[in-house]
Amino acid sequence: MTHYEFDDAGVVVIIGSGAGGGTLAHELTRRGVEVVLLEAGKHLTSEDFVNDEWGGYEMLSWLDKRTASGDWRVGRDHPVTPSWSCQVVGGTTTHWSGCCYRLIEDEMRARSVYGDIPGASLIDWPIALAELAPYYDLAEARMGVTRTNGLPGLPANNNFKVMYAGATALGLNASTGRQAINSIPYDGRPATIQDGFTVTGDKVGSRWSTLNVEIPRALATGKLELRPQSRAVFIEHDAAGRACGVVYVDAAGTRQRQKARAVVLAGNCVESSRLLLHSASGMFPQGLANSHGNVGRYYLRHIIQTVWSVFDKPVNMHRGEIMTGMIDDFVRHDPARGFAGGYYVELNSMGLPTTAAFLDPGWWGRDFAGVIEQYAHMAGMLLSGEDMPQAGNRITLNDELDAFGVSVANIHYDEHPNDLKMRSHGYKTMSAIHQAAGAKRSVEAPAYPASHNLGSNRMSARAEDGVLDGHGRSHEVPNLFIADGSAFATGGACNPTLTIVALAIRQAEFMAGRMAAGDL
Amino acid sequence: MTGIKAHKDPKLAPPPDVAEGPEWEHTLALLDPHVAETLLSAARTLYPHDGLPERVYRRVILHFDRMAAHAPAAAQSFAEFVDRVDTAMPLPFRDLSESYRVSVLKGLEESAAFRLVQRSTVRFLYDDVEVWQAFGYEGASVHLGGYVARGFNDLDWLPDPPAGV
Ligand SMILES: Cc1cc2nc3c(=O)[nH]c(=O)nc-3n(C[C@H](O)[C@H](O)[C@H](O)COP(=O)(O)OP(=O)(O)OC[C@H]3O[C@@H](n4cnc5c(N)ncnc54)[C@H](O)[C@@H]3O)c2cc1C
Repeated sequence: MTHYEFDDAGVVVIIGSGAGGGTLAHELTRRGVEVVLLEAGKHLTSEDFVNDEWGGYEMLSWLDKRTASGDWRVGRDHPVTPSWSCQVVGGTTTHWSGCCYRLIEDEMRARSVYGDIPGASLIDWPIALAELAPYYDLAEARMGVTRTNGLPGLPANNNFKVMYAGATALGLNASTGRQAINSIPYDGRPATIQDGFTVTGDKVGSRWSTLNVEIPRALATGKLELRPQSRAVFIEHDAAGRACGVVYVDAAGTRQRQKARAVVLAGNCVESSRLLLHSASGMFPQGLANSHGNVGRYYLRHIIQTVWSVFDKPVNMHRGEIMTGMIDDFVRHDPARGFAGGYYVELNSMGLPTTAAFLDPGWWGRDFAGVIEQYAHMAGMLLSGEDMPQAGNRITLNDELDAFGVSVANIHYDEHPNDLKMRSHGYKTMSAIHQAAGAKRSVEAPAYPASHNLGSNRMSARAEDGVLDGHGRSHEVPNLFIADGSAFATGGACNPTLTIVALAIRQAEFMAGRMAAGDL
Repeated sequence: MTGIKAHKDPKLAPPPDVAEGPEWEHTLALLDPHVAETLLSAARTLYPHDGLPERVYRRVILHFDRMAAHAPAAAQSFAEFVDRVDTAMPLPFRDLSESYRVSVLKGLEESAAFRLVQRSTVRFLYDDVEVWQAFGYEGASVHLGGYVARGFNDLDWLPDPPAGV
């Protein structure tokens, strides 16, 4: 592997190797840009991965302590793990289940289309869908998204048959949707064998991840130095207020300082905001790039919830890819529904260990036992919908320090009335679908730890409304960028990764262009 | 119960053997027999599956024992839990009938010690391959070729969706 010196100030330093950081690293290096990629986690291979829900969770997850406050149920159910992501080369793309949908025009103009919603701080995106669309095309081709570029959809599995029967009985439009999981061999990766374990690393490699696609290709350019087990703890700036280096702790526990020409944060939202807030200095007393006090604010986590239903006959939902189903009737903003924004209904399955853990944490007794005993007869669905940005929903720093001397993050989240209305509407929809397919009983399960972490360093047309411009560049620090979901101006309804990847491809083009022009 | 076969990933350790008789307690590193039996009674009361053998609940307690040996705070919470359930009624918890055990546990729901016992029971009980087998979760699949030829779309009591949907 290529090696760069610590005092080589010509490199771009990227923090985090997941969807955003891993993609950006590839896109920059293939344009000849020299990159050091710092990743807190280890570099694992498919050999290391296991087909085991808890085994995989413990191997891949970001388990460092966080705290939670606010009225969200996650804060009560999961007080020290309110957000769910990974700490490993490839980030949460080693774990994700591959659903790939695009934001729609209305969502990117949320403030204009939804109006001024009391208590919410909606803005329009500083870029239009038309500007992003070509990068969605590139992202879909790169990731091998089904039903794009001539790739067939994934086949219907048992759980989908239930969803489809219920949805069509209600006149809704269900399909197996679009996933970055191969239905046929594509791009050197095999077709899925329907193993049901994409979320524990994906031993087969049929699903796109930065671990199996972007990072190997970036390394092959000879321009990337990947430094696993390297935890960024501080971003430094020079007298002119430009980012000039990153302090990190390496695998041996030694503190290192890598100089940089530009710094990109891609630590999955909470970590990126935390690192900016922690990197306070005389010039940036509230934290780097935070003169307007917006770093950490407007944190979003989508309206996520599941419904699990019990049927007379076996379903065996654990067999096959876990999220191959989608209903898009509720995606468009429709004021007649009584709330702003929209939602997707998606297929969802879990194994017995995590179904039991997430069905309703805290539920015990004979009633619970009677439901979970019927695991083989259960079907599941998940809702992903738009939540409202609120100034008080934010990442802040606790007094408590972690093992690296960085303040532990607190995530505060209060539900907006719009969020509650959407939740209720969504539960009714999902239960009705299962009932229409013959469900004996449906359980409305609460949100699990936040898996779609967005918005806490948002892009905005005006500096006072956010942290970044439309290229994910800090309004204040011209060579500081963000390449993760924290850059989203609003959350939209769909699972965020395709958009994170599209934005990273667009950002790489912008950065390489500025570098070639001599102003980055 | 379900006619399926459950598989743990071959890379992971199989569940430990537990003796059928009272001597199972000798394998405990830290928990004393009374604490262990009381926790076991609590686990069975929290998640009562009459069809499951005693040994699966014993394996949960072996996990608790490991947790206690690893973390003094966990050991202390288990001890506190046992203390509280034993002193809630005029009889030790283990000797109470089910409805009294349930009401004792209800009274403790808000405590951190209860939460640890309840969450940890879920964590380990439903991760036991014998429980998977009983409830129809087949588990690890890649070493068997996935489910592509083993029933990922074999549900036959609803009409098949049209091809390509
Ligand atoms: C259960 C689950 C299922 C999901 N399914 C889907 C889906 O179907 N579709 C979809 O669109 N999305 C899905 N997601 C969400 C998706 O995984 C994320 O949106 C995406 O991975 C976020 O990309 P990222 O680059 O922001 O962060 P990540 O992919 O999480 O990568 C961040 C990386 O940064 C590293 N890092 C953080 N801080 C530091 C530091 N200080 N120093 C060094 N490294 C650091 C982390 O270790 C990590 O590797 C799912 C998530 C979960 C948890």
